[in-house]
Amino acid sequence: MSQFFVDYYNYIIVVLVMMLGLWGMIAKKNLIQKCIAMAIFQTGIILFYISMGAKKGSSIPIIDHSHGAAHHAVTAAEYANPLTQILMLTAIVVGVATLGVALSLVQRIHSEYGSVEEDDILEKCR
Amino acid sequence: MILPLDMLLLSLVLVSGFVSLFIRDLMGAAIAFGAYSFLMCLVWTGMGAVDVAFTEAAVGAGVSTVFFIATVYNITRFSPAKIKKAKWFSMSAVFVVVLVGVLLMKAIPDFPIFGDPQSPVNSQVGAYYIEHAEHDTKVPNIVTAVLADYRGFDTMFETAVVFVAALGIFSILKRTKFKSSDSKPPETSLIIRVATRIMVPFMQLFALYVVAHGHHSPGGGFQGGVILGASLILLALTSNVQTVLKTYTEKTVIVSAAVGVLIFAGWGLIPMLLGSNFLDYSALHVLLPATDEVMARSHSMLIVEIGVAMTVMMGMFAIYMSLASDGRMENGL
Repeated sequence: MSQFFVDYYNYIIVVLVMMLGLWGMIAKKNLIQKCIAMAIFQTGIILFYISMGAKKGSSIPIIDHSHGAAHHAVTAAEYANPLTQILMLTAIVVGVATLGVALSLVQRIHSEYGSVEEDDILEKCR
Repeated sequence: MILPLDMLLLSLVLVSGFVSLFIRDLMGAAIAFGAYSFLMCLVWTGMGAVDVAFTEAAVGAGVSTVFFIATVYNITRFSPAKIKKAKWFSMSAVFVVVLVGVLLMKAIPDFPIFGDPQSPVNSQVGAYYIEHAEHDTKVPNIVTAVLADYRGFDTMFETAVVFVAALGIFSILKRTKFKSSDSKPPETSLIIRVATRIMVPFMQLFALYVVAHGHHSPGGGFQGGVILGASLILLALTSNVQTVLKTYTEKTVIVSAAVGVLIFAGWGLIPMLLGSNFLDYSALHVLLPATDEVMARSHSMLIVEIGVAMTVMMGMFAIYMSLASDGRMENGL
């Protein structure tokens, strides 16, 4: 069990973060809290990708280019995986833009129904 | 990756995530979410994802917290204490979440061990980028090389998404007919105004450095653009939205966001006119002075990063001013 934990601890945290986000999106009645839960779920997915690209004993994905640095062949195991990182880098920026859209919808709902509680909105829809 | 440090940070991440969902004061929840993002960015730094951590520190901990606060300011701040919840509803929510959690936990042992350099993710195209990026493009920061060159198509459309999101928020919130409130914005304290006036130029200078130096250090168009946008947001926060809109009108903001996408797509189109593929920068060496096929790729990356920075900067500010003023473009917070 402890070996399982040491081998996979990041993935376990990913699942816990995603569970937290999913629970917030379903069970919370306040639309702002739903938005926060959505953002938490998103960071869970980003953490998952970054964990997949991490390598034990590797450096950041910038090749040593200082003056006087010995030019030796670059081996892949020395540097963290850049591919998962760029996918998530763009996902973060797009995530904040779509979060802005979600929040603007919340404001629109508030000016229309005077509340951001799901129950109140449903009441007024009837 | 240091196990005890990771454990400390990850448990703090979980705690702040819980706090941001359970707190009833929505302003406090936004701040707790900012703390959550910042701790998450420390975790990513520990895993060697410096560019991602940089972006998250600027976006997740900085700008998105401001967005939440702007929205909470315009609606009710407190979530009501007593919510009559159907018991079956909260029970079934917990049941669904636990079911999903158990199924995902079951799948974990099928993954390669955390940090394994030989896993399929790390040994295929990711390894190719590490071994060939500097030779192909003369850019030491592999993340920038992959972002702007190898996967430029992806990045171009991500930039377009930021632009479309800003447009969408305009069309959702913008009001043209409303009673203009004549009330003067409250005077902010002298200390804040002077401090902002000193800080903003340095922020913008640093942002330009981040954009231009993305080839050699963590950074690039997205991070620099967000910091540039944050400097405008800071000005709008300390005085009001109108102060910034005196310099940049709404039209300028949205047009320069569009121009950013145009720079990226247009620069990609030129190689097509030269008989090469879309976004194949190496064909551009005939146009750029004193370059060969490799350096043409390196210089082209800077140009598309500038386009990205313009779109992200103006996109972030457009989103902020719509949210903060509830579509009126008047005073804001």
